Amino acid sequence: MNTLIDLTGKHILVIGASSGIGKQTAITLSSAGAKLTLVARTEANLIATLHELEGKGHAYCAADISELSGIEETVKQIIHKNGSLDGMVYAAGISMSMPLQMFKPEKLQSLFDVNFFAFVESVRQITKKGRYNPGMRIVGISSIASLKGDKTHLGYSASKAAMDAAVRCIAKEVAGKDICINTVAPGMTATGMLSRFTDNIGSNSESMKELKSRQYLGVIQPEAVAKTIAFLLSPAAEYITGITLPVDGGMTTC
Amino acid sequence: MTNQEKIALLEETLEIDEGTLTEDTLLEDVDEYDSMAKLSLIVMMDDEFAVKLTGDMIKGFQTVGDILAVMEKA
Ligand SMILES: NC(=O)c1ccc[n+]([C@@H]2O[C@H](COP(=O)([O-])OP(=O)(O)OC[C@H]3O[C@@H](n4cnc5c(N)ncnc54)[C@H](OP(=O)(O)O)[C@@H]3O)[C@@H](O)[C@H]2O)c1
Repeated sequence: MNTLIDLTGKHILVIGASSGIGKQTAITLSSAGAKLTLVARTEANLIATLHELEGKGHAYCAADISELSGIEETVKQIIHKNGSLDGMVYAAGISMSMPLQMFKPEKLQSLFDVNFFAFVESVRQITKKGRYNPGMRIVGISSIASLKGDKTHLGYSASKAAMDAAVRCIAKEVAGKDICINTVAPGMTATGMLSRFTDNIGSNSESMKELKSRQYLGVIQPEAVAKTIAFLLSPAAEYITGITLPVDGGMTTC
Repeated sequence: MTNQEKIALLEETLEIDEGTLTEDTLLEDVDEYDSMAKLSLIVMMDDEFAVKLTGDMIKGFQTVGDILAVMEKA
C-alpha cells in the first residue's frame, strides 16, 4: 500500500461513481484502503463499480441527485448504514453545449441542478453535526472550462465556475469544523462525456483541433484525475483548502 | 404543424430573415447554416419534436425540404 496516500478505514462518499472519473476515483480510493459508498442513478453500473473495488464494507445507493429535496434522506441513509463520513467526492456532472439563443432558462436550470445546486446541497447535508468525522475532506470535480471561455459552453463553464467560487467561500466557513474542501479542474479526460462531446462538435472540427493543441500533454486518463483526488483526500494535503487544482495537460498555460 | 410554420421555426432557429427559405433552398447556399447553426438545429429538433439528430442525418441534409421531412413528432 502507498504510505503517502493511506486512506485505510476512511468512509468516503463518491457521488457520480457509476462511470468515468467517479468510477475510477472509487477504484483508486479503494486501493488506498478507503471504505466507499457509491451514488449515481444507474444501479447496474454502480454494482459493476462495486465489483471492481478492493477491500470490504463498500455500499451503494442509487439516487437521482438532481432531486434536490431527496439529498438529505439519501445522506441520512448512507450514514445510518455505513457510518459518518471522512470524505466526499462530487463527480456527478452533465455537459450541455448549445448556442446562447438555445439556452432557455429551463435548460440552464437542469444543468445547474446537477452541476451546482446538488453539489452545494450535498456539501450542506454532510457538514451537519454528527454526519462527519474530524478532518473530513471534500473534493468537487469542476473543469478547466470554468477558467476558459468557448462558444456554446456558457452553461457548463458557468456551472463549474460557480462550484469553484462556492468552494472558496465554503472553505472559510467549514475550517472551524476541521473540514477542507477543494475542486479539481480536469482538462479533456477519456470518458463517455468526452466521446459524447467529441461526437457533438466533430472529432476533426477546428474547435477539437484547437482544444487538443492547447492540451499539449495529451488527453488525460481518468486514473490521473483519480490520483490527484486521492491526494487531496489524504493527510498529505492537510494545508490545502478552498483551491481549484487544474489537472489539465498544460491547458491553463496556453 | 404546416410546412409554412416549420419554415418559420427553422428561420428563427438559424437566425435567418423571415421569408428567406423555401422547401427547395439548397443548404449550401445558406451562409448562416454553419456549425453553430447545426448545434441549434439539434437542440430545436429535440425540444420541439423529440427527434435526436445524428451527425449522419445532418450530413445527409441537402435542401430545406430534407429538414422539414424530419420535423415530425418522434
Ligand atoms: N471527461 C472530461 O473531459 C471532463 C473534463 C472536465 C471535467 N469533467 C467533469 O468530471 C465529472 C465526471 O464526468 P465524466 O467525464 O466522468 O462523465 P460521465 O462518465 O458521464 O460521468 C458522470 C457521472 O455523473 C453521474 N450523474 C449524472 N447525472 C446524475 C444525477 N442526476 N444523479 C446522480 N448521478 C448523476 C452519472 O451517473 P448516472 O448516469 O448513472 O446517474 C455518472 O456516474 C463531471 O462533473 C464532468 O463535468 C469531465
